[in-house]
Amino acid sequence: MKVSFPYMGTTIVYKKLLELLGHEVIMPPKPSQRTINLGVKYSPEFACFPLKVIMGSYIEALEAGAEVLVTSGGHGPCRAGFYEQVHRRILEEKGHTVDFIVFNSMFRDFKQFYSNIKKLKDKNSWLKVIKSLWLVYLMINKLDILEKEVQRIRAYEVKRGETTKVWESIQKDFDTVRNKVQVMAAYDKGRKRLADIKTYEVKEDRKLRIGIVGEIYVVMEASINMKMEELLGNMGAEVERSQYLSQWVAYNALPSFINKTHEVDIIKAGEPFIPINIGGHAKQTVGHIADYGERGFDGVIHLMPFGCLPELVSQSIIPKISQQYDIPVLTLSIDEQTGTANNLTRVEAFIDLIRGKRMKKIS
Amino acid sequence: MKEFFLGIDVGSVSTNIVLIDKEGEVFYSAYTRTNGQPLESVKKGIKELHKAFPKDGRIRGVGSTGSGRQLIGTMVGADVIKNEITAHATATAHVVPDVKTIFEIGGQDSKIIIIENQMVVDFAMNTVCAAGTGSFLDHQSERLGIPIEEFGDLALTAERDVRIAGRCTVFAESDMIAKQQFGFSKAEIIKGLCEALVRNYINNLGRGKKLEAPFVFQGGVAANKGIKSAFEKEINHEVIIPKHHNIMGAIGAAILAREYVEESNCPTKFRGFEATDLSFEPSAFECGGCSNKCEVIKVEMEKQVVAMWGDRCGKWANSL
Ligand code: SF4
Ligand code: SF4
Repeated sequence: MKVSFPYMGTTIVYKKLLELLGHEVIMPPKPSQRTINLGVKYSPEFACFPLKVIMGSYIEALEAGAEVLVTSGGHGPCRAGFYEQVHRRILEEKGHTVDFIVFNSMFRDFKQFYSNIKKLKDKNSWLKVIKSLWLVYLMINKLDILEKEVQRIRAYEVKRGETTKVWESIQKDFDTVRNKVQVMAAYDKGRKRLADIKTYEVKEDRKLRIGIVGEIYVVMEASINMKMEELLGNMGAEVERSQYLSQWVAYNALPSFINKTHEVDIIKAGEPFIPINIGGHAKQTVGHIADYGERGFDGVIHLMPFGCLPELVSQSIIPKISQQYDIPVLTLSIDEQTGTANNLTRVEAFIDLIRGKRMKKIS
Repeated sequence: MKEFFLGIDVGSVSTNIVLIDKEGEVFYSAYTRTNGQPLESVKKGIKELHKAFPKDGRIRGVGSTGSGRQLIGTMVGADVIKNEITAHATATAHVVPDVKTIFEIGGQDSKIIIIENQMVVDFAMNTVCAAGTGSFLDHQSERLGIPIEEFGDLALTAERDVRIAGRCTVFAESDMIAKQQFGFSKAEIIKGLCEALVRNYINNLGRGKKLEAPFVFQGGVAANKGIKSAFEKEINHEVIIPKHHNIMGAIGAAILAREYVEESNCPTKFRGFEATDLSFEPSAFECGGCSNKCEVIKVEMEKQVVAMWGDRCGKWANSL
């Protein structure tokens, strides 16, 4: 069957898994203005922004011939839980017939998880499935290590744009791997290429570290968040995201006795501020800010999709956390107008603020 | 020989040009309407400045700020191109060194900046809601048939308080009409409008922030006494209005240029007064490289491409 999935972050890993299982993968195009326009046009006006972009992404995937859409479900009381139903309805009204396979955390509904896996498993043996899963998990981990390096080096590159180019070509290398040996080879090559990038020498006390937190889709998908990581990198700041795929997988798919993920601690760190589960990533957002504060980061950019209730709640608590941990936080609302000069001005001013805090003056 | 630093603030409504000396004193300033043509208004402004420029003077540094900072900075050859928040804060901290809260209300936008020990620690900008900016007042003054310049003084003569719903311009308008029918005077209505604007501003931008004295109020709207007194009533404290309240952004840009030049010891990139006669052509084209279809801005000077921006992937900006 021809399968596709929502475009988010390092998409080659989903592609790889589906390919290993023998499916024909339709790569959804990277979200562009057209994707957003389509999504906005066909989604309910008051839907949150990620729902709209993913809507547009699905339409483009179907245009390219996809028959089945694989996606992850959301937890809890926010709208993420309804995504699939809303998307399915809208697509049906538009006259598309499409199947959805929705993965939730396997601990919440194992039966569903199992039947989904069976659908994707097709005629493959279980051994093959497990091997494929394992290979992809390895890939995710290696890619995340490289990406973290990218986010650090970019701040100091001599030739602007070089790190991003290298990162793109590393992903292409990973796209062709079929087994563990090749994964490791691609990884080693990637490490070497990153190490070869010419960088400026910057003294430790002049380095800036900024964390990016917020709802997962707008944090992970660069094409809709003004390429925040690149933007900050070009301004000379090292960046870390609150979400990485490897963490997500570890948290949602590994049994708890080996699940010693950072995410568990993060959620605990967020608990004093948001004690109950209000859905989305609000708890992670506040937990990560506290964590960045404790780790001595210089600032945090909080990305909030327009229309997102959980992040609205976290936004209202941020001043308190920001004060408690003495860490500046800039909240940006992400919607179809995000690329505007005004948001750029905010980010620039925020970097000045952080630099000023370091040097004890305004500029 | 006298040394000067030039600051240019190009906003959507006004273009301000100032000259400061080494001590940071304003030597010259001009305030013109941008009228949607930032290049023309700056060229004109610089020509005027040239006429007033002392024979033995020398420009040692140039800073630009405002929404047109990139374009204008490229044209004049700015040493520093800075965002409005930093520029405003720099200027304010220069005139009121212990300032803690800056209220800035311009024609199309407004900001709040929180300062501690001369450092910006928090800020917010309102760029979407007209109800918190000068255009709200412009609009209502037109409706009431009272010139905006008289607004402030008239507000101070009001005898009674009237609360006008100011959440958004549309509501404010219908509420204003209703209150007029109840028999409130124009002065009272205007006072109510000023208070509505301030309430809106504080609710929008001040949320979650600690507002502490000294308060400084600047921007075009700061000339309005009605708004000043509405602020003082709302926060229950005196509000300082700097002498050059409507050109603070440009002053800040000039100060930043001075700091930069003094620290780096670099000669200025200023292209000179004559550069306004060079051909300077910005143009926009739609890139067809992918489905983003970015509108890319290309700036040519004497047929040479000097700057490009607006491309999401950086393929044009990085090509220079
Ligand atoms: S977390 Fe926010 S953006 Fe994501 S589905 Fe929930 S409401 Fe929408
Ligand atoms: S500038 Fe880059 S992102 Fe924009 S349309 Fe061209 S290729 Fe696409």
